Formats: sequence, structure tokens, C-alpha cells
Amino acid sequence: MKRTMTSVRRREACVLSLLALAVLAAAVAGLFVGPSRMTLSETLAALRGQGSAAQLRILRNIRIPRILAAVAAGAGLSVSGLIMQTTLHNPMASPSTLGVSNAAVFGANLSIIAFAGGFLATGNNLANYTVGANPYAAGAMAFLFSTLSVLLVLGLCRVKNYSPNVVVLAGVAIGALWTAATTMLQFYATDVGISAAVIWNFGDLGRATWRSDGIMLAAALLGTGYFALRSWHYNALLSGEESARSLGVEVERLRFVSLLLASLITAVCVSCLGVIGFVGIICPHVSKKLLGQDHRVAIPASALGGSLLLLLADTLSRSAGRGTALPVGAITSLLGAPFFLWIIFLEKEGARC
Amino acid sequence: MLRVEELRFRYGKRGGEVLRGVSLTLGEGEIGVLLGKNGAGKTTLLECLLGIRRPQSGRVFFRGEDLLAMKQRERARRVAYVPQNIRFGALTVFDSVLLGRVSRFGSRCGEEDRQCTRRVLEEMGLEDFASRNVEELSGGERQKVAVARALAQEPQLLIFDEPAGNLDIANEILILREAARLAREKGIGVLTSLHDLDRALAFGDRFYLMKDGVVKYHAAREEVSGDMLGDVFGVRARIAALEDRKIVLTD
Repeated sequence: MKRTMTSVRRREACVLSLLALAVLAAAVAGLFVGPSRMTLSETLAALRGQGSAAQLRILRNIRIPRILAAVAAGAGLSVSGLIMQTTLHNPMASPSTLGVSNAAVFGANLSIIAFAGGFLATGNNLANYTVGANPYAAGAMAFLFSTLSVLLVLGLCRVKNYSPNVVVLAGVAIGALWTAATTMLQFYATDVGISAAVIWNFGDLGRATWRSDGIMLAAALLGTGYFALRSWHYNALLSGEESARSLGVEVERLRFVSLLLASLITAVCVSCLGVIGFVGIICPHVSKKLLGQDHRVAIPASALGGSLLLLLADTLSRSAGRGTALPVGAITSLLGAPFFLWIIFLEKEGARC
Repeated sequence: MLRVEELRFRYGKRGGEVLRGVSLTLGEGEIGVLLGKNGAGKTTLLECLLGIRRPQSGRVFFRGEDLLAMKQRERARRVAYVPQNIRFGALTVFDSVLLGRVSRFGSRCGEEDRQCTRRVLEEMGLEDFASRNVEELSGGERQKVAVARALAQEPQLLIFDEPAGNLDIANEILILREAARLAREKGIGVLTSLHDLDRALAFGDRFYLMKDGVVKYHAAREEVSGDMLGDVFGVRARIAALEDRKIVLTD
């Protein structure tokens, strides 16, 4: 008995280390790829602090922040998705189940269209979008509104003891509310305003700065740390709410704190980078398919998987778009969806654990 | 060991009362059996004792302590539950049983918890299954894992809801025999609901016959009569002796 359990553990450790290595490799590879077509030796020189000022800037202010953003946001979104799925007993739950993304989009659009651009301004005066506009305004508004949305949904659901179905439905309803408000806003916006707003909505790692990376990393680390400490409690939830209670888990509190943290991580990522969909659904499911549902493994595996997917997608987007980087949100889905389908339809003889 | 006083429970604010003042007592190391029709309130009563549902009024004492006022985690160290339809999620059998220890270890399991798990697996004859995925097991094997998980909690009271619900006769006997052994050898109290009356009469020490949200009859094994059963189940019943056993005859 002992030997076989040992081999199970060894396999888990093996897969986790391979994933970690893959993330590291993808991150390093990402340093060398980009629309500026820096050569290998130029990049290496710039890494050592030698090279032209432009090359140093590209590396320090564009590539490294992007890579860190991919690691932080990928891990954060993916783990948030996993926790949402477990706490809500719903495989379709995602980091944005509580309407976080919709609210963030509304907040950012409000900031861009109504404040920076001048509400209902006549004529498309591009200057309006730059004069006096704080670069962090859109992100800050996005975070403000998404937090508001989370608190609203959780506040409402408190009445129903955070019953999973109620939470999901309330999230859908509140999300629809924000989307409707965004549509109204965009309807009255100017052409420039609407394009600025739509471009914000595309998830884009190019927005990452050292500061936003710091915030995202902190959120992802703190959240994942808390989730990891509660691994066994999530495992208990897998056997149903009643069973979990009888095992000594305070289900309502666990659910409240988990939903709050997962949504806040998502809010931070979306506010910094825009909407990046699908990472929070694909990565947790692939990890559960391959390694089983034990959260001691599923949490780190999802985090690493999320980082890896976003790194790969971003590297691809920077090397494929001629001179520009395509929005990473589109690439994650393009890349992830077929892989996801393959995993789902791949019928394995006896699901492994 | 267990004393339940005037427990009342209703679902929501407007729902009808499911438990309308349930009282019962269970002695040390005894096997108590809840009998009654579907909807009589058996499962709800068990869930109230486990802290899964919060009764509106009434008190529950367990070895002198107020069970309802306890924290979930404290309660889980005393009372364990084997539910009717158990699910686990894709975990190994070992981890599923280890999960029973969560109220003791909190966030990280120690060597002591793993040892307890190994011992329980052995006791239940599950040691060869340890590294298997629980979801691949048959209904009977899963039920055994559920009992093993409850044992890993090292409880003083074990609560079963229809332990034989969807088991074949061999597994049913196996689970009931195991429960009886725990009560006799370890002095663990057992409280269970059961549908099969013959099995119940062979297995239980104390019977609580429930009807419309109250315990209508509170009887030791020898006191259970056909009239009581007939009243509670709404059928004509009598109890006949066959060799050294009692069987229930209905029309």
C-alpha cells in the first residue's frame, strides 16, 4: 500500500516540477521574442546591461514587465477559476462568475468615455483623451466598480447563505446589469471614445508596468497562499456541502472568503490588463483531468498552468503580429479552446487520480 | 450518551415544521435506529444533530456537552456521519479517508493522521485500494470508504443515514456488522435510520419510531410491537418469531 501511494505522490511531484520548468523556460524564451526583432546576442547583451538605450528600455520596460504580468495574471486567474468551481460546485464557474469583468469593463469605460473624453463631447478631439488623463484612472475605476460588484453580489447572497446556485445566478444578473450600463455608455460615446473603450476591453499584457506587476503578484501570492492553506477544506467540499460540514468545515465562511478573494484577484488582474477570458476555465480543468481533484496538487498545478498558457499566448502574440502585439485575450482562447476540447473528449481508460 | 430535547425545525420561514418537538435518548455504546415513512423527518433530525441544519429550538446534549452550541470543528471530533449518497471527488482512497482527520489537523496533516488512516484502511479491509481513485470503485466499496472516513474522525458517536440504501445484501450486512462491532468493541454510539424492518430488529438496541415530525414511540428491541409499526407506517403489521429472530409480517 505504501509503495503505491508513494508512486502517486512521486508522479504528482514530477508533473509539478515539469510544469514549473516549463514556466521558467517560457519566461526565458519570452525575453528573446518581440516585434522589435532584437537579435539573440543583442538581447543577451542588453540583459547584461550593455547595448543601446532603446534596447535596454525594450527589455526592462516592455519585455520583463510583460513576462511578469503573464506569470502573475495567469496564475491568479487560473487559481481563482479553480476555487470558484470548487466552492460553487459548478464546472462552468469562472473567475468572473460574480460579474467582476463586466463591472471592470463598465468602470474603465466610464472613466474613458465620460471623464477623460468628455461626456457627449461634440467632435472627436483626440486631445481630450490625453490632456490631464491619469494613466491609472481607467484601471482604478475598473477596480472600484468590480469590487463594488463583488460586494453587492456577496451582500445579496448572504441572505441565502451563499447557496451556490443563488450566487451564480446573482452574478449573472448583476453582470448583465453592468453590461447593459456599458452599452448605454458606448451608445452615447464619441467615435474616439468608443474605440478607446473597446481597445481597453481587449486583454493586453502590453499595459503591464513594474508597479502593476507588483500589485498583481501580491494579490496572486496572497490569495493562492490562503487557498493552499485551505486545500483540505476544498477537498471536503468535493464530497458535498453536508459532508463537508460533518467533517468540521465552516462551509459558509469558507465560501464567503474564497469567493471574495478569488474575485478580488480577478478584479486586480482585469483592472491592470483588461479582460483575459478562458484561462480560469481551461487551466483548472486540464489540471484536474490530469492530476485529479486533490487541491494540494490542483492549486499549484492550476497556477503554473495559467502562467504557462498566458506566457505562451503572449510570446505567440508578440512574434506573430507584425510590428504590434495582438491582444493576448484572443490568443488564449484561440490556443486554449482546441486543447481544452481535446482534453474533454479524450476518453481515458479509467480517469487517473 | 445522547439526549435530544424538544427539537424543532422548519425549512425557511414559512415552511411547515418538519421536526415538531423531537425528544430521544441513546445510552453508551448502544445502537439506536430511527424508523418511519419517507418524510417523517429522519434525515432532517440526523442533519440537525450534525450541525448541517440549525434547528429553531430544542437542545441536544452529548456526554453532558451542548452539541448545538459547539463549533463545527469541535462537533466533528465527536460525531461522524456516513450520508446516504456519498460523493468524494477524484481523490485517492487514502486521501478520502485522510480527509476524515481534517477536523483534527486543520490545514496540514501529520504522521499521526497518516498512521490513523492506514490503521482504519486495514480495519475496513481497504488497504489494497489505497492508491485507487474513489470514483472508480463500486457502490459497496465506496460505502466502505465512507465508513472508513467516518472512523478516521475517531468519533464517539457515528451517525448513518440509510447505510444500506443502495447496497446489495452482502455489502449491507457487512456495513451493519461493522457498525455493530464498533458499538460493542469500541463503545461508539451508533444512530442510524433504516428502511428494512427485519434488519433493523436484528441490529438495533433502541428504536425511535417517527411519525409526522415527532418520535411517537420510544422502544427497546423487545418492546417493539406490530401495532407500533403499523401505526407509524400506516400498514397492518405483526411481528413473528422465526428461530431466534424476529421478522415483520405485513399484508
